[in-house]
Amino acid sequence: MNAPHDGPVIEREPYEEELIMDLERDQFVFETSRPVPQAELGARATAALWALRVFVVLVSLMVIYTFIDQLH
Amino acid sequence: MQATEVITPPPRLPPLTDEDTVRSQDRSRVHHARRLGKRWRLLWLLVGPGILAMLGENDGPSMIAYASDGAQYGLGFFVPFIPVLFAMAFVCQEMCMRVGAVTHRGYGELVLQRYGKVWGWFGAGDLTLTNLVTLVAEFVSIRVGLAYFHLGSGVAVALGLTLVLFTLSGGRYWRWERIVLGMALFNGLFLVAAILVKPDIGAVAGSLDFTPFPGGSFNTLLLLLASTIGATVTPWMIFFQQSASADKGMTPTDIRHGRYDTALGAVLAAIFGVGALIAGAALVTHNGSGIQGFAGAGFPEALKRVAGSVAGSVFALGLIEAGAVAILTISASTAYAAGECVGVSHSFNTSPRKATIFYAANVGVALLAAVVILIPGAPLLSIALNANVLATVLLPVSLVFMVMLANDNGLMGRWVNQRSTNVIGIAVITFVGLCGAAYGIDSFLQSIHLIGA
Repeated sequence: MNAPHDGPVIEREPYEEELIMDLERDQFVFETSRPVPQAELGARATAALWALRVFVVLVSLMVIYTFIDQLH
Repeated sequence: MQATEVITPPPRLPPLTDEDTVRSQDRSRVHHARRLGKRWRLLWLLVGPGILAMLGENDGPSMIAYASDGAQYGLGFFVPFIPVLFAMAFVCQEMCMRVGAVTHRGYGELVLQRYGKVWGWFGAGDLTLTNLVTLVAEFVSIRVGLAYFHLGSGVAVALGLTLVLFTLSGGRYWRWERIVLGMALFNGLFLVAAILVKPDIGAVAGSLDFTPFPGGSFNTLLLLLASTIGATVTPWMIFFQQSASADKGMTPTDIRHGRYDTALGAVLAAIFGVGALIAGAALVTHNGSGIQGFAGAGFPEALKRVAGSVAGSVFALGLIEAGAVAILTISASTAYAAGECVGVSHSFNTSPRKATIFYAANVGVALLAAVVILIPGAPLLSIALNANVLATVLLPVSLVFMVMLANDNGLMGRWVNQRSTNVIGIAVITFVGLCGAAYGIDSFLQSIHLIGA
């Protein structure tokens, strides 16, 4: 990941300035490499996500078991 | 008194990377077309991720699944069911495109950063597992297609890996996208195959009322539903379209064209998918055997016997194309996920030297799948048939996070989901989840002999 830009102001060639005009500020690699702030999930949302995750893992294991069983 | 000259420092602008430079060149053409009001040129420049996600999902296992549906049950039910599934896929993929265009970030990194590393890595793990299994199935598809022309698995591996390396060689997203788009249009071979079997147009039109409903055992019906859903919406599409939209440089002003792109992809994929179904249905009156039998013998050979060698050849070429395009898009989705989750450069606009993990993951996952199909006695057919089912089972979690991201006010601002999109999105998640879980549980209970077949 690119380090945040805290260095000196960059001197640019005119063609570079022109190129920059075609990108939105938040499209620069410099900007997209900054992580977005973490959202706070409520206890119920977290519990629901874990329940879904456990359920999906269990069903996946069943599918994999069936797949292996069918091979024999 | 002498006036003091105030020197205002120039605004602090971020450093420009090679990736920014390349992307800004692509954006420059988009702005130019928009300024001059060149509508078709603008559409041409902005289509890509949506069509690739949809036609990439019309992959080898999917086309075999559609053809198997047709061979086993005829046209009824599935002719309207496939377009309904692609309408569902459009709702999901439109969200991916919109989130990518607004945030300029991929699905993997957003989940990881927004909801925590645990959920991010779980998502990447699901993706890697399903992608690896699906990629094996894609090589199997190429092998089945090549076998019709008396070519072996070594050629299938060489073809798949050469394409991956060739498309990666340019160091530009635009180049990669256009090559794969050009290849993806050959998915239309399945429509040609459908025309060559000379279907009864009246029967095709008559099947639009969802009847007759497929018969057979409950488990077979669940397998058909799960594998057909898995042939239409999968985790890799979610990762791919969001990341590709960001990599392409799409912005909120491009969302309308992103919708056209996704809708066009869905329509083409539905037409070509129904084409494979119709081609398969030509076999239903000719001792239509089970899914395993047809896939094992090779659909092209079976089609050759009932509709001639041209139909067989076209179907075989279609399978090669479907497998090849999917290898490229699925490898790309793995590479995006790897780069995003590790937190390193993840763009086709960056050179391999500066995005080593991205390129290594892209080639590595394809290489790993290729090695599997070279293992003597590997259960390739079973892997191919179960790839879609596994994708269906793991899909609900990816979709839930997709809906959460698309509803995140902090990220999306005024581009958050509308209420109607949420209602449809939740209905899709529930339907996919129930079908996948019902098949998984029913099959498991049969395997351990708790219920009869």
